[in-house]
Amino acid sequence: MEILLLIVWIVILFTVVMLHVAYATYFERKIIGHMQVRLGPMRVGWHGLLQPIADGVKSFFKEDIIPENADRPTFLAAPIICLVAMMSSLAVLPFAKGWVLADIDIGLLFVFAMSSLASYGVVLAGWSSNSKYSFLGGMRSMAQVISYEISMGLSLVGVMLLAGSLNLSAIVEAQGDRFLGMYLLPQCLGFFVFFISMLAETNRVPFDLPEAETELVSGYCTEYSGMRYAIFFMAEYIGMMVMASIGTLCFLGGWHGPFPVPFFPPLWFVLKVYLFMFIFIWIRATLPRYRYDQLMDLGWKMLIPLALANIVLTACLKAILT
Amino acid sequence: MQIQYKPRRGWLGTIFQIEILQGMNLTLKRLFSKPITRQYPDERPQVCAGFRGQHALVRDAATGDSTCVGCMRCVAVCPSRCIQIRTHRDPKAGNRRVIDDYRIEAPRCVYCGFCEEVCPVNAIVLTKVFEYSRFERPSLLFTKEQLLDNWDRFVSQPDSQADGYLNPFWRPRGLAEGDLPAPKRLPVPSEWSGEQQVVGRLWRQHLPPGHV
Repeated sequence: MEILLLIVWIVILFTVVMLHVAYATYFERKIIGHMQVRLGPMRVGWHGLLQPIADGVKSFFKEDIIPENADRPTFLAAPIICLVAMMSSLAVLPFAKGWVLADIDIGLLFVFAMSSLASYGVVLAGWSSNSKYSFLGGMRSMAQVISYEISMGLSLVGVMLLAGSLNLSAIVEAQGDRFLGMYLLPQCLGFFVFFISMLAETNRVPFDLPEAETELVSGYCTEYSGMRYAIFFMAEYIGMMVMASIGTLCFLGGWHGPFPVPFFPPLWFVLKVYLFMFIFIWIRATLPRYRYDQLMDLGWKMLIPLALANIVLTACLKAILT
Repeated sequence: MQIQYKPRRGWLGTIFQIEILQGMNLTLKRLFSKPITRQYPDERPQVCAGFRGQHALVRDAATGDSTCVGCMRCVAVCPSRCIQIRTHRDPKAGNRRVIDDYRIEAPRCVYCGFCEEVCPVNAIVLTKVFEYSRFERPSLLFTKEQLLDNWDRFVSQPDSQADGYLNPFWRPRGLAEGDLPAPKRLPVPSEWSGEQQVVGRLWRQHLPPGHV
């Protein structure tokens, strides 16, 4: 009985997240369109509101091409690895008090593990496609993950020190519902490092080197088509959602807001996540791509030392104040 | 050429990445500006005077036929050689030329408008119609009948202004009024006739200094 209930919850979560992912693409196209003084999708439904559904139907019915010289099992597995890893990290996110599928004590660590696992999907896709563009994309993804995973992990150590826990619900509770309780202020350095690493981790502009359209056709997903390509996209958007949620939970006080909402407790959480999503898109509409060596430079020479300094500072302050 | 270097940014600017913030500010401002997109099939573009669109032969209201006299000037001037005219002599009417067929190969046309400029009787025109793409190439090889039909279709459009359509700009440039053939001597804005007509390179010199 309990398992059945859990399955129902999983299905509900899956549906809701998939709808959000679909409309995140619409949101992105609309906002980027308006930032470029265009309109964005306008034709399918009122103001293009049905565009994500049309896209989904289209990519579902498109021909699924597998290159002749591709490493077949790996080629087929790569998008699924990506999607499964990203989706499983949804399980530990608390959307509101008690609204969490698996309230495990190593929540934050689990999310890290899963997001690095997802980049295995990208690397394997690049390798198995047997195409130079995909290969370069996969290689870049690997290098990027190695350098930015570290700084992201380190940037959240400050939060762990302050909250004294890796459980995401406990981190939110430790921040309390006051504005000044948010870890954004005491951990502003950590937030800065986290934010930049978050962009790199989700392969977003200005760090979208693995799928740099202008140089690598489409990077690691060059050889993919139809539904498999769409799965990579879904994984990317779920990754954005997960990273935005982590940012919200660890720095912006999670589901706490100026006043509690009676019927829909996750409202503040959703609003904050969408604020993050908007900033993601805003940055995409503004910044050009980093050069490869600049990316490495920023990761190793700037962000990791900054994150380490943040840890030392936080630890010292905590030791002094308590 | 004067090269404008950006001023070096100070250490505060380096830390806070002022340029990125300026760029973000710009895109945020654009987010709330009015998009310039035109929703084409619903929102029609405004076609300006002198637009060079689909070819047509003007149908003479008196005879119901084309006014073309078969002088072959358009054939001679056409840079892409897409006009073909077949004529014969009519001994009954003082041995004058009568056109049998007038063909325009529209896919080859470059829409330079020379044919309508040189035409002494304003017989060939380029209308304001711009939506005539087809899926088959042969349907864009206009015969005389098709060209006359093009004119009828253009005139029947509510906003075609067929009366004023002939006159404005289709005259060889830089010619004095007296040197023009009679149908071309139509009232036009003064900058399009005689001394004040400025085209091409002269246009920039004509403008007041400091304008460009």
